[in-house]
Amino acid sequence: MIFDLNSFDSDQSITGGICITGAGPAGITLALELAGRGIDVILLESGGKGFEAETQSLYDGEVAGDLNTDVSSSRLREFGGTSQHWTGLCAPLQPIDFEKRPGVPHSGWPITRADLDPYYARAQPYLQLGPFDYDFQSWKDALPGPGLPLDPALVIDAVYQQSPPTRFYETYWTTIKTNPRIRCYIHANLIDIALDGEAVAHCDFSTLDGRKLTVEATNYVVACGGIENARILLNCNRQRAQGIGNEHGLVGRYYMDHLNCEAGAILFADNNINLTLYDGFVEADGTALQVGLKLPSETMRREGLLNNTAFLVPAYENKNFSNDFRNHGWVSFSNIVKAFAHGEVPDRFAENICNATEDADAVAIGIYRHVVRSFASTGRALAAGLRQDAEQSPNPDSRVFPNEETDPFGWRRITLDWQIAPSDLDSLRRTHELIGAAVGAAGLGRVHIGITDPPDLGIVYTGYHHMGTTRMSEDPHKGVVDRNCRVHSVKNLYMAGSSVFTTAGTANPTLTIVALAARLADHLADTGTARTGAAKRS
Amino acid sequence: MGRITRRLALGIAGVAGFGVVAYGGTLVACRFVPRKHPSFFALLDAVPDDETARRVGKAMVASGHAPSDLRDLATLLSERPHIRAALVTDCPATRKRLVQTQCRADFAEGRMVSVEGWLLSQTEADLCAAAWLAGGRTG
Repeated sequence: MIFDLNSFDSDQSITGGICITGAGPAGITLALELAGRGIDVILLESGGKGFEAETQSLYDGEVAGDLNTDVSSSRLREFGGTSQHWTGLCAPLQPIDFEKRPGVPHSGWPITRADLDPYYARAQPYLQLGPFDYDFQSWKDALPGPGLPLDPALVIDAVYQQSPPTRFYETYWTTIKTNPRIRCYIHANLIDIALDGEAVAHCDFSTLDGRKLTVEATNYVVACGGIENARILLNCNRQRAQGIGNEHGLVGRYYMDHLNCEAGAILFADNNINLTLYDGFVEADGTALQVGLKLPSETMRREGLLNNTAFLVPAYENKNFSNDFRNHGWVSFSNIVKAFAHGEVPDRFAENICNATEDADAVAIGIYRHVVRSFASTGRALAAGLRQDAEQSPNPDSRVFPNEETDPFGWRRITLDWQIAPSDLDSLRRTHELIGAAVGAAGLGRVHIGITDPPDLGIVYTGYHHMGTTRMSEDPHKGVVDRNCRVHSVKNLYMAGSSVFTTAGTANPTLTIVALAARLADHLADTGTARTGAAKRS
Repeated sequence: MGRITRRLALGIAGVAGFGVVAYGGTLVACRFVPRKHPSFFALLDAVPDDETARRVGKAMVASGHAPSDLRDLATLLSERPHIRAALVTDCPATRKRLVQTQCRADFAEGRMVSVEGWLLSQTEADLCAAAWLAGGRTG
């Protein structure tokens, strides 16, 4: 069942097995997995069925440190969470990402990739992906073009899968609504986590106009996103002055994002090089894939490098195949067209119309080029840019922390101090040098290195992937949650989502978020502490 | 159209066979014929005569990545195996192929240099530097 707390005429108090705050990919997956194990779930979401400006503004905050990021507009506070506008690119973290790497300070998860493998397999269908197979060799015979003839000891092909992308509201609203084990409340904002000694006694929720709901459960999970998870723990400071789980000052620290940049290019020697495989999405056996170039793990270990996958952005002789017109206006226009094509009114219609109108020139160029592309040939590939979401090293000084501004519930808003270390870009430069060596050794062409020495940090933009603020470690002095995502200092409080990532890898995080949620569901079900409960009204 | 007689067929086969034997024999014989080695400057045919190559050459010398003395640079280059082979061949196409092979070997073995952002093999960058020095440091 789904209830709208805004429609309640009195304060409520309910009990249940597991209380999950946040109905995004992590929360919804967790709820469905638990319900599938026969466990009663109470799922609470701050937003409603779509975008609501007043609710969304609860995310507002400040940006300090690197300014090429934001704290609010990249995330959506509604049922489905940020899946409502994600792009859908998926890959698992690699085994090396979980290792303690000598060249990467503060690295090393307390779990391994093997621990997550069965959960990655379970996560794939939630995101409407193909089989759990990211090995290029498995796919290559079904791909529409050849890989570049590079020495696999130097550079390998990395496979990503493309989700439709799954919108969790459209895909799971009815499933949640009809699941007898799940009681979901929308417009329920978490306003307090009340402790009784070392355990959560209950959580309090409120609508924006003050209707209250108290939830008492056996276990509690906070699944509100990479920044909001930390903000919640830091604001729940009524009983613990530093905030819950913050005994060692770690909550909010080690904030990581992917270093989004297009830097460097390959100039090909052969005028007839075939880049079909690397030019956007390709289909293989009914699964949409994207293929990029990366260094073998052994090279990353030997050189102490951070992880990266470089996707090629071909520049064709025929300018009509360039996507340089893509900006906010074009994306908005594209959203409008797609929505109408599905017989729906676009989400945030007015905002999208304004974006498209203000960027009418880009929209006009985009329409023209899409029409021309249907009958023109690309011409030869002159070069290919290197676009990536590169890994950044965990850094305790990169963090989110409460500022003096407060939201309507009196909670302090957040300041994001994103710190990028020059060494992060030094690592990316070295990665490009090694790709350049492989390209040169194969006689394919030459690479232009787009990262200066010392690096210009201004070339980096947010990948919109917020990670690490309640990081996982077996040592409470080094992490906020343990290997089971439980807050070290609270017996029955768990964190779900990318805030628990110890390191970021280079893979887009959603698949790992969903896999970790499935793993957490197994842990909660297997510990046997969850109990079913009935609702009671006060 | 004339008929192919037995005599004609034998004649054609004989001429073709003679050609093959003559060509193969010449190749074998040439191994024993002492020849004048091409000068180091013949190697520079592999360097394009354009502004980019001159910029690379100038930058290599200016940054100290390549010696500013042409003889030193020639000695350095001749220590590389495929360049050494290129120095003893008259054929421009073979010379170019050997230079390319050396460049690929440079990349494979990590002998690279970055010039204005371009990741080049040490050999091709050195050759640009040599061409720039040999051209009187102009451009």
